[in-house]
Amino acid sequence: MSEPLLRVENLTMHYTTRAGDVKAVDDVSFTLAQGDSLGLVGESGCGKTSVALTLLRLMPDNAKILRGKVWLGDTELLSLPYEEMRKIRWNRISMIFQAAMNSLNPVYRVGDQIIEALNTHIGVMSIDQARQRVAELFELVGLDPALMDRYPHEFSGGMRQRAVIAMALSCNPDLIIADEPTTALDVIVQDRVLRQLEEVQAKLGMSMIYISHDIAVIAEVSNRIGVMYAGQMAEIADSIEIFERPLHPYTFALMGSFPSIKGKKHALEPLPGEPPNLISPPSGCRFHPRCSRATEQCKNEVPIFRDYGNNHFAACWHPLEV
Amino acid sequence: MATNDQTLVKVENLVKYFPVEGGLFSRVRGQIHAVDDISFEIQQGKSLGLVGESGCGKTTTGKLMVRLYQPTSGTIKIRTAEGTLEDIAFRRGKALKAFRRRVQMIFQDPYESLNPRRTVFDTVAEPLAVQGIGTLIEREEKVADLLALVGLTPPDTFMFRFPHELSGGQRQRVAIARALIVDPVFIAADEPTSMLDVSIRIGVMQLMADLADRFGVSYLYITHDLAVARYMCQDVAVMYLGKMVEKAETEELLAHPLHPYTKALLAATPVPDPRLRRDIINIKGGISKPVDPPPQCRFYERCPIADEFCKNNVHPPLEDKGGGHFVACYKV
Amino acid sequence: MAEKMDLVPSQRSPAGEAAARSTILQTPLWKVRLQLAWRGFKSNAALFAENKIGLIGLAVIVMFALMAAAYPILINTVWDPNIYDPIIGYDFTQVEQPAPPSPAHLLGTDPLGRDVLSQLMYSAASEFALGVVAALVTVIVATTVGAVSAYFGGAIDTIFMRLADIIIMMPFVTVLIVLSVLFEIRMLHLALIIGILAGFGGDAIVIKSQALTIKVRAYIEAARIAGGSDAHIIFRHIVPNLLPISFLYMMFTVTSAIFSEAVLSFFGLLNIRMSWGLMIHTTSTAGYLLDLQKWWLIFPASIAITMLCAAFYLVGRALDEVVNPRLRKR
Repeated sequence: MSEPLLRVENLTMHYTTRAGDVKAVDDVSFTLAQGDSLGLVGESGCGKTSVALTLLRLMPDNAKILRGKVWLGDTELLSLPYEEMRKIRWNRISMIFQAAMNSLNPVYRVGDQIIEALNTHIGVMSIDQARQRVAELFELVGLDPALMDRYPHEFSGGMRQRAVIAMALSCNPDLIIADEPTTALDVIVQDRVLRQLEEVQAKLGMSMIYISHDIAVIAEVSNRIGVMYAGQMAEIADSIEIFERPLHPYTFALMGSFPSIKGKKHALEPLPGEPPNLISPPSGCRFHPRCSRATEQCKNEVPIFRDYGNNHFAACWHPLEV
Repeated sequence: MATNDQTLVKVENLVKYFPVEGGLFSRVRGQIHAVDDISFEIQQGKSLGLVGESGCGKTTTGKLMVRLYQPTSGTIKIRTAEGTLEDIAFRRGKALKAFRRRVQMIFQDPYESLNPRRTVFDTVAEPLAVQGIGTLIEREEKVADLLALVGLTPPDTFMFRFPHELSGGQRQRVAIARALIVDPVFIAADEPTSMLDVSIRIGVMQLMADLADRFGVSYLYITHDLAVARYMCQDVAVMYLGKMVEKAETEELLAHPLHPYTKALLAATPVPDPRLRRDIINIKGGISKPVDPPPQCRFYERCPIADEFCKNNVHPPLEDKGGGHFVACYKV
Repeated sequence: MAEKMDLVPSQRSPAGEAAARSTILQTPLWKVRLQLAWRGFKSNAALFAENKIGLIGLAVIVMFALMAAAYPILINTVWDPNIYDPIIGYDFTQVEQPAPPSPAHLLGTDPLGRDVLSQLMYSAASEFALGVVAALVTVIVATTVGAVSAYFGGAIDTIFMRLADIIIMMPFVTVLIVLSVLFEIRMLHLALIIGILAGFGGDAIVIKSQALTIKVRAYIEAARIAGGSDAHIIFRHIVPNLLPISFLYMMFTVTSAIFSEAVLSFFGLLNIRMSWGLMIHTTSTAGYLLDLQKWWLIFPASIAITMLCAAFYLVGRALDEVVNPRLRKR
């Protein structure tokens, strides 16, 4: 078993707001092996985007990291000076933000924007070299290289998304973090973009962290799935393992709440209650108010993130299979 | 499907074009064929799912059904209280207002569909107030009843809250209460759960299904997600660029899709189970806006099985291929 | 299984249900609305108070309000009307008019022998009245015009927008000067004129653009589907959502009104008996405008104008921060 590419240990991050401290990320730990594709799944507000932003140290001003370490290979990211972190960004880890296709600058040609990224992060290269690289990247994501001289408004949604992916790939990072990259896309375009991402990942041997609330998409693209709830990592395991053997009640409930076109039509079980307020989250296990298996212990003690074998971890006092 | 006593809604040859303006004097340069000659029926006790990608005309259809738009041509017949089917496509004024008690709509965005400066009571009671139904006390009681019905209990605590004090799921419940308060027979629901949190969606969907059973309301359930349509609707229709390309009972359509576009949609829908792999789909290109489309089959450009015949003939009509399974395709 | 949400009310006890309902219905609706309005006001006030400039502006306004309120008390008690009346008073004990500040006349007297402080306080009331009336007229006109133009579009929209363009093109003060030559303008007339010009002018355009963003919201469609008429949608949905912005612009109209009055009075074009602008006019006609030795003739009035205008402007800026985030709040 080779060295994992990314190791996150006890990451805790809060946002300070007028109404109080938002405990956005609470004691999150996971590892990512080279070539793995980890899917972080959870509802809005569960902290998955916050984790990603923290890894890249792109948090807003009112965020503070209270605890934790993030190891990218041998480098500990959270203690790096700002300049060093800048070098890591885009070169070793890059990110595709939510609704990124709207973040292309409308007054510049798409190719030029990628060239700018190249010049900034790799170093200035000759125009021909840069254009050559852009053409390669476009082909990699399934875009016609001739399009590099067009403006963003001439691209469709799916094409823009692929252009953004090309930009994220431009400096050959070890890890790409993609935050809901296909949410705004129609289902057929989404299919294409997902397959393209899989192809690219296989070809370049890249690792990915894929963030989404849609468990169907996550099941497609990730070989490892982490379920987050209210800022904590509830469960993490290989994809098939987590589907066949979910341990955390939330994971089980989440899976039962997605309608499917395949298989028998089964009744869907709604989860009672609402996702908690992170300024004053519930005591002990944050899921206990909505959990059918909750006991006094769940109310009073935060469950320990335990190893259940087979690289399968969960934080629950009464997991489903014990 | 023959019209019978159970038919609540009957739409025939519904057409809606939007003019495209441009040029120096904003002349009309062309027409967007948003909805182009569709026909369907909805029976009592059943809901119809309208499925398609963005730009296919499903939202426009929904808005036509509740007369937010006036159709360019066609008929929209709704069953009145007296039991007859009346065409409301071109009604205006008082007659239109009367019809509004029979048909309501639930919107996609729970944050936008409630007026932020009005209380829950004002919002839910508005249809009653506008239609002049009931005294103030009666309206308060009815609103309280409905809030309890949609799961916002106790009604006291919710009656006089403002939208920003509610969560997305709660707001959508308020929207459902508002739609139901005039006892409509038909509700157009435009992706009502797509902007809600995943764990809240099922609750709201089940609520809608329960209420449909209890009150005999039928839905036109508009969604881009075939999986959701499966759970809410007995029948489903697939739209593409303003045309209806396939229509059948939901389980039948999922098990035996006939139109190549339906097959592509099914193949492209991700399945929440990593053990199941999807088929590769082989349609090319992307969706364009249906501006003055040529008369041939709308799907010709992208279709994997189209041929010269398809190119040289008009868009195929929607035909029953047996057992109420309709397809618009020459190659089936 | 965890507690399921209650969908069917008949599963609860009928008595409990009736009890739940009776508490709401016991309070009359108007009272509930009053309570809600009060709650809303308190939370807005809290938001407003976070901004220091708003509080400073408010403090200045309160100070001038106290001044205006103090005048009738003083003139009826401590001050001898013959000496201290701002318009016809005269202090014979002073040798030379205008007299510099002294214990009897804290800000001295003007060239006509009238007490400056008394003038200042007397005018405060009418300046306030002018500002508020002008602002109210602006709000009513601009909101209605904006909402109607946005909602109906077409010819109505074009007419109002072209009207607004014409008004914006006209130089404001020059128009007022022309009007004052043609008609006799008093304070109230001035307030109405400013209100109407501002209401049909630039403010209408701003409010209309805001109304356009409201018009396309889903809740407007929902109101239409409920059966709402055009009037219902305009006045029950669009206008209430415009009021925060209208109120905001109202503050700036007050500023403009007070300042315009000062300019017109300075030119002696208004038919009023006493105002801050008139104080400066008196100074000017007596030839003391640039005489810094007689500083009490110019500074009190001009500082008062500046301070009150600035105060309303600061309050407007602070209100902006209350109004805008709320509009975008989820």
